[in-house]
Amino acid sequence: MRDLVFIAFLFAMFALGSRRPFLLILTYAYIDIVSPQRLTYLLLNSVPISLIAFVSSVGAWLIFDDKSDTRLSRRHPLLLILLLYCFYTTTHADFPDSAGDKWSWVWKAIVFAMFLPLTLRTRLRIEALSLVMVLSAGAIIINGGLKTAMSGGGYGVLNLMGVSNNAGLYEGSIISTVAICIIPLILYLSHYGTIFPTDWRVKIFAWCFCLACLLIPIGTEARTGLICAAILAGMMFLHVKRKALIAVVGLFALVCTVPFLPSSFTSRMDTIGNYQGDQSASTRVQVWMWTIDYVKDHPLGGGFDAYRSNSFRYQTVQRTVEPNGNVDIEHVTVVDKARAYHSSYFEMLGEQGYFGLLLWLVLNLGTALQSYRIHRRYKNERDPDKKWIAPYALAMSQGHITYMIGSFFVGIAFQPFIFMLMALQIGLFTYVRRLETAGDWQPMLRRAARPVPLEA
Amino acid sequence: MIDNFSLLLTHGLILLACWRLLSRADLDSDDPVKPQGFLAALRRKDGGDSRDA
Repeated sequence: MRDLVFIAFLFAMFALGSRRPFLLILTYAYIDIVSPQRLTYLLLNSVPISLIAFVSSVGAWLIFDDKSDTRLSRRHPLLLILLLYCFYTTTHADFPDSAGDKWSWVWKAIVFAMFLPLTLRTRLRIEALSLVMVLSAGAIIINGGLKTAMSGGGYGVLNLMGVSNNAGLYEGSIISTVAICIIPLILYLSHYGTIFPTDWRVKIFAWCFCLACLLIPIGTEARTGLICAAILAGMMFLHVKRKALIAVVGLFALVCTVPFLPSSFTSRMDTIGNYQGDQSASTRVQVWMWTIDYVKDHPLGGGFDAYRSNSFRYQTVQRTVEPNGNVDIEHVTVVDKARAYHSSYFEMLGEQGYFGLLLWLVLNLGTALQSYRIHRRYKNERDPDKKWIAPYALAMSQGHITYMIGSFFVGIAFQPFIFMLMALQIGLFTYVRRLETAGDWQPMLRRAARPVPLEA
Repeated sequence: MIDNFSLLLTHGLILLACWRLLSRADLDSDDPVKPQGFLAALRRKDGGDSRDA
């Protein structure tokens, strides 16, 4: 039954896309995020729908779309270099087979990130892509949020739509990071959206959606999500108007929430500051130390999945509280091998070497910074037609920074979602730059006498 | 039950959004903004772009 519903949905999307080709691009974005082929058992999992959507969206753009005002950004050459460099490391990988497997989806994510901004020529297109990205992730997040609200979830036990192989966004830490990072976009769309203009229904849905996003780190018991939520709360707090009121209400809500949190969640969060007592966190530190040593001998990186060659032996400290109140401290020797990086930064360092890490950092931080600059530039804009730019840019940069914080603890350097978020920001930047150079209007905060285009 | 509810809700909203986009002329062109790309410049030079008329 679920197979038929997905097939009907995809048919409807392709049919709508035949009338407006841009909708095919949204269809590919949806498939990349939700992976409906993973949710079905019969028909869709045997058809390469991702490839079909990719080819049809690029083909439709090439044939039908107006390309006269399409612009390249300075991020494009960087993405191209990253793509070629990843191809090079894949051909020289330590583990060619598993590197080839990862390359088979990484190249699509990077190529799509280069392609998307070329299509984001109008404000509505940028909004439509954000909306589809948010709603697609929402299919998983609302599911997990509802299950958490009803059952409490648990580390590694929250069942997200029946997908058990922890792939893509269906892994606990990854969906926690993504769930928190889309909160600013949800709030923006509920306030400035034109596809679903703001009204009481949109606002209620948006608030419930944000609540579901906040419930995901609780349901998955992913510590990464809690750290992301704290950082995002701090960033959003800096930009609210009534800071004292918000601080009081926020603290009150936090105090009221703690008693309702599952005890397994609070005990797991207690381990954030004590990595030695937690094997998962200790393993991460060991893998990171191994990666630093590895890249000294392999400065160009070992290709995708180079972590498979790691092995180590270390001691953890286990504290057990006995019934009589005594604390039993025991040193346990752990032997482990082929452990994943559990950090995007070390993933890039180990797989793509110093150059790959540098490129990835320049791309991500540069894009987030660029969006923040757009926000600064337009934040005092009073024209109602342009008021949307500053909050949109701020929401994107806050989401991106949140993702980068989560990336410290999860290996999500090549997640298609972050490349889409990057493409969205490049699209906004090229759109704004086009508006500025068109000469129809000028931003309020421009200080120079002559127009100075934003740097890419 | 929850799986079906969340799938129907989000997929229904995506379809509704795409349906609404069908009737939006500003999906493919923002009126106030004139095309500034290379091809647009060529068209303007040839006097062939009606939007610049």
